Formats: sequence, structure tokens, C-alpha cells
Amino acid sequence: MALTWRAVALAVLGVVPVAVLPVPGTVLVWAIVVVAACALDVALAASPRAVAVRRAVPGSVRRGTPARSELVLTNEAPRRLRALVRDAWPPSVVVDPRSRTAGGPVVAHSGRHRVDLPPGESARVRTPLLPTRRGERTAGPVSIRAYGPLGLAARQASLPVPGRIRVLPEFASRRHLPSRLARLREMDGRAAVQVRGEGTEFDSLREYVVGDDVRSIDWRATARRRDVVVRTWRPERDRRVVVVLDTGRTSAARIGDADVVPGGGDAPGGTADPAPATADAEAPTVGGTRLEASLEAALLLSALADRAGDRVQVLAYDRTLRARVAGASGPRLLPALAEGLATVEPTLLETDWTGLVSQVRTQVTQRALVVLLTTLDPAAVETGLLPVVDRLTRTHQVVVAAVADADLARLRADRTTSTAVYDAAAAARADLERSAVAAVLRQRGAEVVEALPDDLAPRLADTYLALKAAGRL
Amino acid sequence: MTTTAPAPSPTVTGDGTTARSRAAGRWRRARWTVLVLSALALTVLVMAVSRPATSTVPYAPDNARPDGARAVAEVLADQGVDVRYVTTVADALGAAGPGSTLLVTPAPYLLGPQADALAGTEADLVVAGADQLLVTAASGDVLERFPATNPPTDPVHPGCDVPAAVAAGTVVLSGGLAARDGVDPDVTLCWPTRDGAVLASVRDGDRDVTLVDDASFLRNDTVLDEGDAALALHLLGTHTELVWLVQDPLDTTTTPGSGPGPTGSMLPPWAGVVGLWALLVVVVAAVWRARRLGPLVAEPLPVVVRASESTRGRARLYRRARSRGHAAAGLRASTAERVARRLGLPRSADPTTLTDAVARATARPAHEVAALLYGPPPTDEAQLTELAHRLDTLESEVHRS
Repeated sequence: MALTWRAVALAVLGVVPVAVLPVPGTVLVWAIVVVAACALDVALAASPRAVAVRRAVPGSVRRGTPARSELVLTNEAPRRLRALVRDAWPPSVVVDPRSRTAGGPVVAHSGRHRVDLPPGESARVRTPLLPTRRGERTAGPVSIRAYGPLGLAARQASLPVPGRIRVLPEFASRRHLPSRLARLREMDGRAAVQVRGEGTEFDSLREYVVGDDVRSIDWRATARRRDVVVRTWRPERDRRVVVVLDTGRTSAARIGDADVVPGGGDAPGGTADPAPATADAEAPTVGGTRLEASLEAALLLSALADRAGDRVQVLAYDRTLRARVAGASGPRLLPALAEGLATVEPTLLETDWTGLVSQVRTQVTQRALVVLLTTLDPAAVETGLLPVVDRLTRTHQVVVAAVADADLARLRADRTTSTAVYDAAAAARADLERSAVAAVLRQRGAEVVEALPDDLAPRLADTYLALKAAGRL
Repeated sequence: MTTTAPAPSPTVTGDGTTARSRAAGRWRRARWTVLVLSALALTVLVMAVSRPATSTVPYAPDNARPDGARAVAEVLADQGVDVRYVTTVADALGAAGPGSTLLVTPAPYLLGPQADALAGTEADLVVAGADQLLVTAASGDVLERFPATNPPTDPVHPGCDVPAAVAAGTVVLSGGLAARDGVDPDVTLCWPTRDGAVLASVRDGDRDVTLVDDASFLRNDTVLDEGDAALALHLLGTHTELVWLVQDPLDTTTTPGSGPGPTGSMLPPWAGVVGLWALLVVVVAAVWRARRLGPLVAEPLPVVVRASESTRGRARLYRRARSRGHAAAGLRASTAERVARRLGLPRSADPTTLTDAVARATARPAHEVAALLYGPPPTDEAQLTELAHRLDTLESEVHRS
């Protein structure tokens, strides 16, 4: 049962009889009148449990893409249903999560609908959704508050209508894909610009044009053709690329909102502009973990490597295998990746690097490009990755891609107060430690890429292209 | 891949409950609360019933503590006197009539009109421990009162022919009453002390007005001293009806039948009713706002704390320890590392090599660069901030070159 403002108004109206006859009995009688009117109204209200509800939601939607949840309500009661219907969704899915009641829970007004249904009729209400976090989101119940004919009081019930939506990774880094594909085509020798890859795979013969490297002239073919003919090379194809997402505790770290840092560049090299650290402090439902940035990088690299003709598989691992996407290629690769990685969440466990290396070695036996998307946190790397990285670099080309902390970049550049300078000193010290770790990893034969969340995906793609061009895959 | 077609879920009608199962569920959830609350209520009820009704108001006829007057009231009741306990002047005047006794115990908050109203009663008036205001009003302006300065020590003989005083004999009470115009035929003073008389009896028409300057003859702890008990019983037991007034401090009533009760007496008479009505509105509004439209929907979050918190913690340690040396070393090493990478020097390059390379790149004197990168630690925070700014400048110069 629930009351409305009209019940309050009715109680306020009691001032009239109280003014006429100011004795306590008047108030008592008026209280009984209010209670009786509300009880009558509740008794005359349609039953919210006699409403047939069906919820239709998209099975999966990309993060940041508007979607909507549809409710079909059928009034099966013999009475007219005047009701307020709430289609409840978790905070990261609703459209207006900022409408908060002073420190209290989020009130999503977009999920509330008024319906007025004669007996036997149906209505369809739509709730706009805007998922801001990746993963599987389960809808809450559908709450129906059915008002009585007087509008004083209502019957209320929360019906457990199933509904779930799978929020796929956003793949915001796909905007970097065209430029990288252009570079790939240049390497292939198909583009107009004469920038050939140093690939080792023989591609074709063609006529010499001014500017070609004289060393690539095929003298035997030139002798047969009378024209000067050069050999072209193209990068190797059908290489194996294994992308490993570390979903251990370090991937759960919130590393600041990447959008806030303008430009950025090559951390820990460049200097990021000091930006106000407002970011997502007020919106804890927004992503911003290290894993999100790693996922973006993994998606871009996979898309690029697939177009380059390599075979891609993606693993998510902490102490066990959380997800594995392999065998898909071409147009089926990205949907498979999005579906497979949608539900990968960081776990608060230390990553088992020995197990991870064994997993990689069982997945690929031939030489492959192994990309480890993790962190350069000195403590975690020294105890976890460093002792076992040799086992990988012996047979594979290893790239350690780490997401730098945008907050740290901001801290390091801040000189406004003496307190900020101490913060900057601590951040500088952390940078030094990380670059020392990176140097050790490079000594062991691994490539190291560290970048701010927004820059990691293009930087990793560039590293991949550079390795491919150098024939090191 | 963005949005797949809406997938309809099965149609749901109701939540699988019936009125009976919901009632059972509510009972299951609430039963412990109900049990505890009813046990508490029962305990309070038993305690309230089992204990006799006593008050803690001084001079009240139902107060059994030393400052009460239950002993006198009980004895009077046993002797067939109907003791009526009132707390407002209006009630007292309403209850007291001809052929009854009105006892006024000490009333420091009595107002002038109230004193006049009490003086005008047709009942025999016994005023115990009254102040100047009431003494003047009750005696018809023939008596005055001086506060007692000397506490009584020795028993005093009555020295008058008032029956109660004669029956009481000697008492140890303080006195301060005196006739205003010397000797008055209607006024009898008893128990003269150095400050004045203890008891004054004024004959006013066909009723007696008796003033006793010291009300302690009524108190449970002193009622048995000397002739106190006899005095009290004689004064109060004259008639079969006794109205016992212990004034409530909030009482402002003067005439019988005015005002609802003692507590509302300072407020307008309709205030209580309006308060009740406001309570009704507040309760209805609370119920209106309290019901939430369905339960909260929770969402698990991986982690809430930022990763940079550990770095901030380290910065705070530096600051608290005033470790400017460590902070400066960190800033310098970081700058040196970036500058060295920019200039293509290996990580293992020694300070002299780096200093020379930077000096060449920025066209600064080598000793200045050395002082900046390897100089002594700053001595205060201003120097630390300045060092940070100068390192930034150096770095930007190297990057520009």
C-alpha cells in the first residue's frame, strides 16, 4: 500500500472541522475519515498482481549506445488500472543517473511511466537505456503502483520480470583503425607511396621505377624481360598473435578518466597538461578501470592483425582462464571478441603468471606474437612476470603493454602548491621505478609499451606494425 | 554487433504470492520485532500496575518521600476527611466551597490575580509557607511577612487561644508574620519568635483564614517533631472535605472551568487540538514519502579507490617527514632520465656526461646544469617548488633544442 499527496491534502483539510469544533475528538474522527477513505480507495484499486508484464530488451548493446527496454502491460483485472510503473535497471544503465536525492539513491525518472488501462487492454512503455559500463546487467523488478479511483492511496507490487542486457566493449579505439590499415596497405606495397615493408615473403615482380632500391632488382628476371624488374616483398601473413588480458587485481585499479587528459602522449616520457582531477569521482558507475583500456587495445590490435592476415586469439587470465576467443576471423572476429570479452571482469586476485605462461604455451606451439596487457607496477612485475618472462621470450616475440595512470600524469605535472610538488615528486619516483622495470623487461627481450588509457590502443597498434615491418613476427 | 533485436522475455503475471502468503511473509519478518516490543510493553505495564502511585512533587499528598506530605494526607483520609488533590487554582476554587478546607502549599509561581482569587474563596483557607503576595491577599491586607533570618532552635509555646495551636503545644518552626497595624481584634498571632509569629489566624466573616509561615509541619520528615502533627490534623481536619492545592508552575488559571489542563494553560485552548491535527498531517505525509516505488537495484563495482592513492600516500609521507631531499632527488632523477633519453644517452650514462650533454643542448653553463641536477637538497618548501619549476624549464629547453 502507498499513499499519494492527495491523502496528505485530505488530512490537511481536517483544519476545517477542527476550526469549527476544537476538541480532540474532532481530530480523531477526521483521522478515521482519512484512514477509511484510503482503505476504500485501496479496496477499489485494480490489483497490480493481475497485470501481465512482458519485458523486451536487446540481448546485447555496445557501451555508450542508446538502447531501450520495452514493457508490455496487459490489464487482466476487471477494473480500470491507473498506475505508475517503474522499469528498474542498475545505475550504470539508466539514462539520468545524476538526478540524485541529496546523498540518497539514484532516482531514474526515465524509468517511470504512467499508464491508464481499461480492463483487458494493453499498453507498451519504453524506458531509454544508456549503458556506461561493460558487462552483464540484470534488470530489477517491475514495480506497479495501482491507484484507486479517488487517487488517495494505491496498491503496490514488485513483479520479478526477467531481463538482462549484455553491454559489449565500446571499441572506441576503432577510430584509429583506418589510419593503421592505410599503413598496413603501404607496407603491402599496394599503396601508391613507395614505402615497402621489409617483409621476408616474396610477393611479386614488377617494373623498376626511379627510386626503387637497386638491391631489390631481380637480375635473372631482368635478363629475361629486357626491362629492369624488381622483386617486391610483403610482410608475412598467417602469423599467430596471442593477446593476453591480465584480469588480476592490478587490472581492477581505477586509473582516472582518460578523456580528461588532453593530448597526453608517451608516458612516462612526455608531459601531460595539468587538468582538473574532477573526472569520475562523482560517477563511480563509469568504467575507468585498467582492464577497460586494455580491452580497447586488445580489440584494436585484433582487428588490425586480422586484416593483416594474422591469426588472432585473445585470452583473459588471472588464476584461471576467464575467457578465450580463438578461431574466428574476418567479419566474425570482432563480434566474437565483443561477446567473449563482454563479461570479463577484474578479479581481486594476484595473477598467476606461471599458469599464464603455461596457458600461452599450450595455446600456441609455433612462434607467435604474445601481447601481455598488464601493468608495470614494480611490485607486481618483479614477483610475477619477471621470473617467467624468459620462458616466453625464448620462443615468442613478447610485447608487454601497460596502461599508465592518467591521475599520476596529472600529479607529476602539477606545480601549483608545495603540496602538489610533493605529489609530483612521489609520482616522479613511481615513474622512475616503472621505467626501471620496463628496462629490465627490455633486457629480457620483450618490447614494452606504456601509454595513457586513450593512447595505449594506437601505440600498441603502431608497435605491432613496426614489428611486422621489421619482420620480427 | 551494436544492437541485436529485442528479445521478448516470458510474460509475467503477479509475483507468485497470494494474500495469505504475503501475510505469512510479513508475519515471519515482523514476528521478532512484535515479540520484543510486546514483551517490553508487558514489562512496563506490570511495573506500572505493581507500584503504588506516588509522585515526587514536594508537599503533594501522594508523595511518600521526605519532602512529601503523604503521612498527613493518609491520616486525614483514615479519619474520614475527603482529600482532593488539585494542581491549578481554577480546580482548587472549583472544588472548594463553604464547609470545606482549602490548603495552599508553598506556591512560588503564584500570580497576583491567582492570589486574589484564592483569597476570595468561601472555604476555610489554610495557607502554608506563603510569600508576601499571598499573605497580604489572604489576610485582607492586615498581615505582613518578614523572611525568617534566625532558624528556630528551641521549642516555643503557643501563647494564644487558637484551638489548633493549643492542641499542638510547643513547636520548632520559623516565624515571620506580624500584624500590619499593631493589634487587630480579628487577628490572633501564635508562637511568637524573634522574627515574628509562626501562625496567624484571621477571622473573616464566618470563615477562618489561617496562615502558617513554615510549611515544614506538613512534610513527612518533620511531621512528627513536637506538635507539628497535631497542628496539621487540627487545621486540615476541621471539615470533611479538604482541597489540597500544590500549584503547577505552568498554571495561570484563575477562575473555575477555564482552560483544558495544567500544561496547556500557557497556550491558547485550541493549541492542543491543532497540535493533534498537525500530528495527523505529519503522519500521513510520512507514510506518503516513505514508500519507495520498488526496491533499490544494486550494481557490483570492481573497485572504488583510485590507483593513484598509493602515490598520494607516499607524497604525504614525504611531506609529513619534511623529506625535501627525497622529493627533490625524485624530481631530479626523473628529469635526468627523460632528458637523457631525449638526448640519446644510455641509462648508464654518468653525471658528467649527462651534464655536458645538457649544457650543450641548452647553451647553459655546465656548472649551472650540474647544480640543478645534482646540487644540494633544498632547505625549505619554497626552494623545493622553485627547483621543480627550474627543472621543468630545463626539460622544456632540452625538448625544444
